[in-house]
Amino acid sequence: MKKQILVALLLIVALLALSACTAVQPAGQTGAAAESGKLAQIKAAGRIVVGTSADYPPYESIDADGNFVGFDMDLIRAIGEKLGVEVEIQDMPFDSLIASVQEGKIDAVIAAMQATAERDEQVDFTIPYRMTRDAFAAAPGSGLVIEKPEDAAGKSIGAQTGTVQEGWIQRNLVETGLTPADMVFSYERADQAALDVANGRIQLLLMDAEPAMELAAQTGLEILLITELTAEGGKSIAIPDGATDLKAELDRIIQELLDDGTIQRIQEANGLP
Amino acid sequence: MDFFQDLATTFNFILQGLWVTIGVTLVALSVGFVFGVVMAMLRVYGNAFFRALAAAYSVIVRAVPVVVIIFILFFVIARFVNLSPFWAGSLALGFASGAYQSEIFRGAFQSVPPGQMTAARAIGMSRVQAIQSIILPQAVRLALPAWGNEATLVLKDSTLVFVVGVPEILRRAQQVSARTLEPFIAFGLALLLYLALTLLTTQVLQWLERRYRLQM
Amino acid sequence: MTTTPILRIDDVYKSFGATQVLKGFSLSIQPQEVVVLVGPSGSGKSTLLRCINLLHPPTSGRIWLEEEEITAPGVNHDRVRQRIGMVFQDFNLFTHLTALGNVMIGLTKVRKMHKKEAHDLAMFELERVGLVDRAGHYPAQLSGGQKQRVAIARALGMDPHIMLFDEPTSALDPELTGEVLEVMQQLAKEGMTMIVVSHEMGFARQVASRVVFMEGGVVVEEGPPQQMFEQPKYERTRAFLRKITDLEGDEK
Repeated sequence: MKKQILVALLLIVALLALSACTAVQPAGQTGAAAESGKLAQIKAAGRIVVGTSADYPPYESIDADGNFVGFDMDLIRAIGEKLGVEVEIQDMPFDSLIASVQEGKIDAVIAAMQATAERDEQVDFTIPYRMTRDAFAAAPGSGLVIEKPEDAAGKSIGAQTGTVQEGWIQRNLVETGLTPADMVFSYERADQAALDVANGRIQLLLMDAEPAMELAAQTGLEILLITELTAEGGKSIAIPDGATDLKAELDRIIQELLDDGTIQRIQEANGLP
Repeated sequence: MDFFQDLATTFNFILQGLWVTIGVTLVALSVGFVFGVVMAMLRVYGNAFFRALAAAYSVIVRAVPVVVIIFILFFVIARFVNLSPFWAGSLALGFASGAYQSEIFRGAFQSVPPGQMTAARAIGMSRVQAIQSIILPQAVRLALPAWGNEATLVLKDSTLVFVVGVPEILRRAQQVSARTLEPFIAFGLALLLYLALTLLTTQVLQWLERRYRLQM
Repeated sequence: MTTTPILRIDDVYKSFGATQVLKGFSLSIQPQEVVVLVGPSGSGKSTLLRCINLLHPPTSGRIWLEEEEITAPGVNHDRVRQRIGMVFQDFNLFTHLTALGNVMIGLTKVRKMHKKEAHDLAMFELERVGLVDRAGHYPAQLSGGQKQRVAIARALGMDPHIMLFDEPTSALDPELTGEVLEVMQQLAKEGMTMIVVSHEMGFARQVASRVVFMEGGVVVEEGPPQQMFEQPKYERTRAFLRKITDLEGDEK
């Protein structure tokens, strides 16, 4: 009896391993040599695997039926159409996205991501498809006044982990000594941060303006200031380092979609100004 | 009425993560079982080299947070074979669980009385045959209670595979929470699912324990 | 008289670390002989049995089993042990298997019999020790005497050419030793060659063809039971045999 159980277990593992091996896709390898042929690879495979972090409406989220929806999602589908390939979206934590594209696990990242200098060392970015602004938000009736970004000094403040806003807080508030490091809070997801502000556990939230406005509408947060303090070039698609042909093609398509008003149309459809 | 409809929608949505959670847990436990038993055997019956190898595996893997192992293995494995996140995540979790299981089985192997080995050799079994037919079946039974505990831990650790993009129960709850901003409902439902899974696992293992208990 | 011995032990030494247990032990055993080995504790009786079936190969010296030198380099120990049955003081039944399973596992795993064949032979061996009705019981559900009889059946299943008994009754309550000794006596009657380490002097008198008294790792004296009990050559032998006979005398 126990022998059969053991054999069955071993068999399951063996079968699973086997099916895993047969499921192996043509290898998307790393390294500059391979990356220069990235576009050809994607076209040959007939699909592009795009990573996102689907907890950031109105850019990307999952609707009740399990579909990826939002501005970024509509945009990447429009881009896929122009490329003539199928778009496969892979949901991941925001923190894992850069590493995944670097290691070739995904072909590109579209996640309301800004092309910062730090990220640019790891991966390449397309031209921006949307310029961004940031918002400071507080609980309703907080009485706080933020007229310029530096007014946030000395207040407890939250941002999403790994975002440009978090970097800005570190550089401009913490490293300058304006805010003690223990008053800065890092959240895995923006909605957690918004709920903490609404509940009075932190005073301020710094994040992308449009998702902030969406959260504000749902939780009653007050937007104190909209600014372009961290706009280091707007939102771009991240691709593997050295994938020059892919970058050229995506840049061309994004420019085309900007010029013919498609992006404008998608923005409005998703409630973005 | 609307509230209950929303609740049902949310529940259905999170429920789709259930199969992922179950799949990840079963694969990880099976892989961990094989790793654990083999490493424990090497540890107890191997030569100096294999003993050191198995000990190093156990010590190092248990010293590192599971999520780090998953992250590293996902990207290390990714350089050689292009596994899907589900497979990479589950195998990595299994590799980590194997270290804990190897400790469980090592203790079990060592608590099988030495007379069992002597008697097996005396009827002409080779060492390998004796381990396979006499020691291992007894060790597995002795290990069952501790193994059951490890099974529930792996079930809970299955939430960690989302770092490589596997949409299990917890991630689905996060997705709902991000959309509806009702974390209590989303995570409450996730909690109920985990509770049900843990209770089920415990029941099955208790049944196995009763069925295969060794009477000394 | 001088037939070929089934077992020949020649000048065997055995040390564990710095402790020398066997110090030049020699003995020849003829087919169908029943040799009862006695001696004070620590005299090397158990070690000798474990040297014979190579569980603890001798440090030096040579052993022949049916004219094959089993201590020669390159001999397959597992194959040798199949021909030597061994019964232990504390039974060592496999706890996860039933009485039947204990007898069958050697048949299927070592003798590579088919399940049906192994089952029938195992039942036959259980029959020999009078335990057919306990075939489905686990060791924990058996009495000490029953356990030891299952252990004997397990050894018999391997079709041994010689059987070693290492104090087979000393872990048993006195009222349970009889059933085990009876089975052993029956085996002797059927012509099994046996070496028995035991202080059951009643058994020695009735069944043994020879009694060997060992001390300090060597044979002190040997001979037919009657001679050993009634007119031993050495005072040391007389003293030892009297002591153990007196100890058990009241119980017989």
